[in-house]
Amino acid sequence: MRAEWAKQLSRAFLLLLGVVVVLPALAHGERNQEPFLRMRTAHFYDVKWSADKIAVNDEVVVTGRFRLFEDWPMNLPQPDRVFVGNGTPGPVLARTESYLNGHAAIQSGKLMLDRDYEFKTVLKGRIPGRHHVHPMVNVEGAGPLLGPGSWVEISGDHRDFKLPLTTLDGTKIEDLETWGVANVVRWEGFWLLTALVFAGWWLRRPLLMTRYRALHEGHEAALVTRGDRLWAAAFLTGTVLTVFAGAHWAENRYPRTIPLQAGQFRIDPLPKDEHEINIQVKRATYDVPGRSMKMTLVIHNPLPHPVQMGEFMTAGLRFVNHELPAAMAQVDARYPAELLPRTGLTLHDKAPIAPGETRTVNIEATDAVWETERLTSLLTDPDNRVGGLLFFFDDAGERHIANLSGAIVPVFIGS
Amino acid sequence: MTAPNKPPAEGDFVDIYGVRWSRWAAQLSARLDVIISIIIALAVTAAFHLHFQLLAGDWDFWVDWKDRQYWVTLTPIVAITFPAALQYVLWEKFRIPLGATLSITCLMVGAWIARIFGFHLWSYFPFSLIWPVLMIPGALVLDCVLVLTGNFFFTAVIGGMGFAVLFYPSNWPMLAAYRLPVEIMGTLVSVGDYIGYTFTRTATPEYLRFIERGTLRTFGGHSAWVASAFSGFVCVLTYLLWWHIGMLLSKVTTLPNRWRSMFGMAPDQTAATAPVESHDAR
Repeated sequence: MRAEWAKQLSRAFLLLLGVVVVLPALAHGERNQEPFLRMRTAHFYDVKWSADKIAVNDEVVVTGRFRLFEDWPMNLPQPDRVFVGNGTPGPVLARTESYLNGHAAIQSGKLMLDRDYEFKTVLKGRIPGRHHVHPMVNVEGAGPLLGPGSWVEISGDHRDFKLPLTTLDGTKIEDLETWGVANVVRWEGFWLLTALVFAGWWLRRPLLMTRYRALHEGHEAALVTRGDRLWAAAFLTGTVLTVFAGAHWAENRYPRTIPLQAGQFRIDPLPKDEHEINIQVKRATYDVPGRSMKMTLVIHNPLPHPVQMGEFMTAGLRFVNHELPAAMAQVDARYPAELLPRTGLTLHDKAPIAPGETRTVNIEATDAVWETERLTSLLTDPDNRVGGLLFFFDDAGERHIANLSGAIVPVFIGS
Repeated sequence: MTAPNKPPAEGDFVDIYGVRWSRWAAQLSARLDVIISIIIALAVTAAFHLHFQLLAGDWDFWVDWKDRQYWVTLTPIVAITFPAALQYVLWEKFRIPLGATLSITCLMVGAWIARIFGFHLWSYFPFSLIWPVLMIPGALVLDCVLVLTGNFFFTAVIGGMGFAVLFYPSNWPMLAAYRLPVEIMGTLVSVGDYIGYTFTRTATPEYLRFIERGTLRTFGGHSAWVASAFSGFVCVLTYLLWWHIGMLLSKVTTLPNRWRSMFGMAPDQTAATAPVESHDAR
């Protein structure tokens, strides 16, 4: 009986071990980031991936925009040093170029809150597989802030990967992956061999117990002889001469070198709208059993055109007003389906907001995605606020972006 | 092998370093040399590699961290620790001047194992980004100075300074190729910078690098030599400290067991007469 029970337990353990061992890490734990990091920091929008299937050496270009949110969490440092990166499972893609508002973004720099930036990242397929690719900004002190992620499949063989480069002194580098590596192996191999020869001089003789006993019985002269000292002197001289000869060779081989660069960029944000639609959150609730975010908003339209609400966007989730063609036209076919809730955005008052009008509007964003994206944990946050962007469209189809932020109250009992 | 109940004949003895050993004991000692040497090498590799990763990790991991200031200053200071301690043990107890060469070689082997299996095969980083530093020349100088002077103070001053000063030039033949200038998107960067940029460490942005942002260049333009000299000075002090740590850790000490009675055993008789017995070889 006990043996049977032990057998069953062993099987269960092996099964569990198999599951744990076999399951690969598919993404980067982006759902594990606290909701305030995803809803109130960098809001990525218009994100597009140029391809979802590429071969090794082919490129995928990720473009889009992000807004550093006006209601930036108090517990995070200001974005004084920001790096525009990409979230991938390590260097499975090589980042060959990255731009911010058309300027090179190889270094970091200061960005401004409540302003928009346009990014472009060029990634070259390197390691075959199916990889989750995110745009990302790293803010010093706040860490990586991820945008939406899409799957990119890379086919081919890693051995075919090449990343050539020509330096300013005309040196042609065939592949950055292997550049200088043969020289490293030769030089380190030479010194490893030298160390073994030096050590071999001592190791060929009886070692530990015999030397210990000889030392304590007063036979020190037999342990370190004149020959040993000559050997050490020769090695000392040879080592110093070889080191400086090697450095001299390198200076002649590469006469024009520069130190590692540590500068910062200065990039202005995109121009701001002259008139911004103003949103006041009168009341926001999250219906826990109904998985629905309901908000009562006071909206003021200062524009000279009537506008209609087309989309509520937060943490990469896009609740789109399906009844507004201009809003639906903004949805890229490659945008991750799991971030586009099917129910979309529900408006209780669908009439356009007239120029100069202030109106109270009720909206609902209902979907299980609040749970699957683990955004409901915002209810346990000490700074319990919701943030996102609202996209409005005027009668000409032009888009106007407004910030939405306010306190949120959980509703635990279904109505 | 001599039978245990029969006195050994004259021919069964050998003279090793002026001490008479039975041939059987000498053979046994030689086997123990091999076994203990392997154990020491593995233990030093693991312990030193862990210590080095924790204290100088990123400067050793990445080619775009190997700058002229922090890398040059910190790496020798962190790396002279185990050589100093091991030199004490091997020199003071056995007169073997291999403490530095052994520990640095073990570190290098450990670093290459980690780079090949952990960084390259597991995480896909290319070797051009992750090759480990070379410190064997400095270690050879430390050991050679110890043989020639037989004095730990001179080894600390001459060898410690040499260990730090030789660090940058001994790595320059490998590093220079990664310091060639290149224009990327209209920006001047070194090849090493670009390698670090292109093979992304996802959560490690550019600004996390601790690289040359100081004012050492005011001392003559090239901060590496100023950093080396400062590193050498600290290496001398670190060497002295770790030589004494080696001394402390190799002390054979017997402590009386004060808890025997708790387990129903007779009290330790040594407790009353000799609370702490210490055997120092020096």
